Amino acid sequence: MATAEITPEMNHFHVIHPLDDVAEQKCSSEGLGKIAMTRPVRVSLGVLRAYLIVMTLMLGYHVLDLAGVLRSIH
Amino acid sequence: MRLETELEIDTTPAPQSVVVRRRWQAHLLTFLMVFGPGLIVMEADNDAGAVSTYMQAGGQYGLHLLWVLVVLLPICYFVQEMVARLGIATGKGHAAMIYERFGKWWGRFSLTDLLAVNFLTLITEFAAISLALSALGISPYISVPVSALGLTMMVVTGSYLRWERIVIGLCLMDLTWFVLAYLTHPDWSAVTRATILPGMPAGGITSSLVFLVIAIVGTTIAPWQLFFQQSCVAEKRLRFSDLKWARLDTLMGAIFTVLVAGAMMLVGNYGFQHGIRFQDPAQLALALGPVAGRFVRNGGLLLMVNAAVLGTTAISLSSAWAYGEVQGWEHSLHKKLWEAPGFYATYIACVAAAAGIVLIPHVPLQLVIISVQVFAGLILPSAIIFLQLLLNDRELLGERWANRPWNNYINWTIIAVLFALSLLLAAQVMLPKLFPS
Repeated sequence: MATAEITPEMNHFHVIHPLDDVAEQKCSSEGLGKIAMTRPVRVSLGVLRAYLIVMTLMLGYHVLDLAGVLRSIH
Repeated sequence: MRLETELEIDTTPAPQSVVVRRRWQAHLLTFLMVFGPGLIVMEADNDAGAVSTYMQAGGQYGLHLLWVLVVLLPICYFVQEMVARLGIATGKGHAAMIYERFGKWWGRFSLTDLLAVNFLTLITEFAAISLALSALGISPYISVPVSALGLTMMVVTGSYLRWERIVIGLCLMDLTWFVLAYLTHPDWSAVTRATILPGMPAGGITSSLVFLVIAIVGTTIAPWQLFFQQSCVAEKRLRFSDLKWARLDTLMGAIFTVLVAGAMMLVGNYGFQHGIRFQDPAQLALALGPVAGRFVRNGGLLLMVNAAVLGTTAISLSSAWAYGEVQGWEHSLHKKLWEAPGFYATYIACVAAAAGIVLIPHVPLQLVIISVQVFAGLILPSAIIFLQLLLNDRELLGERWANRPWNNYINWTIIAVLFALSLLLAAQVMLPKLFPS
């Protein structure tokens, strides 16, 4: 760990580069499965879906416009 | 988890440690060891597209949009701080976390969108290299392949630190923007006023002004940054105790990037003051030559190349890291070429294909630029939503690493603004007649 490591007798600090340090036990998702569908998660993903649908519709409109399909309908 | 308290009573010197006498020296050295990902992710975002946008902003509106950069500074920091925190807490990349916690559908959506927008952006980076070096008399058939080769050589050395040091060097070359801005002799009191006090250009709110402001926001906070910094932090194996230094690195990166962006606007402003009309930064640099001198002309062109090189290496790496971690391949710069073939092949394929496309005569670059804006509009809100949800995933992160209520208040506000701006940008790109000009 690169935080100052104190050696009491000598009053020295040992600084270790992260790449040379012992690996830490990180927060692991192993065995947790998917995220719990709480209300904020459900709402957020719902808003995201709606946003993507709107964007797709706008893109579709733009493609049809560029292809001249809309002008021929008018 | 190794706790600090355990370390403080451990009197055995750790292997490969550096011994210093003073606490401040230990802190400084630790910071320098952690320093890198924050600066790189921020400064690489000042890529060729950003140079073009900021110079256009200065060229069209003078100093009037400088305040936008000040508003963007905390937004950049808060978003990337979450990324650094998630990377340190999990030791994994953003794409892998989305796959694991939100399932394959959202995982594939995020990855596909990321790879698409990244690839299209890479084409614009190589187009900028071609443009700038052509203005210096170097044929694109030489400049583009040589740049692609150099960008490949940078990553295949089997050392993350070597790549990081080269890229930090390239980031620091952007200090030259301050020299260029100084040489254009701006009115510093007007610069200070325009930076602190939000103002409107003469003519009020027009469609082109709205477009430019959104483009500035879009170019300052890009989707690849989320994926890049988290993978970079994981690659560097930053530890829990490094978070405060990673935050400082990110903050310094954000400040540096915004200052450089401001300097680019000042150079653009010089064109505005002299009535120079330009379509791209290379044209401006060439036009500035006779009035501002050769240093400004050549410096502007070379800095444009530097911006494109920085953008290309970071964006290609974000693609390679994301794809590699989702595929379950070895995906590390610590590995030799033959130890992580899929990872390096992805990086090289991105660079080579983008470079190859730029060399095709009459390639429709305008279509590429519009596609980048549309894809970026799609991916940024979604990537940032996943980031925010992951930072509230207490099952995964526990209370220590999860967002605090004040974090959430700020971040949801940022997300709402980005959603609205992305929608507005996409609407303007896809339905050009939607707003009056």
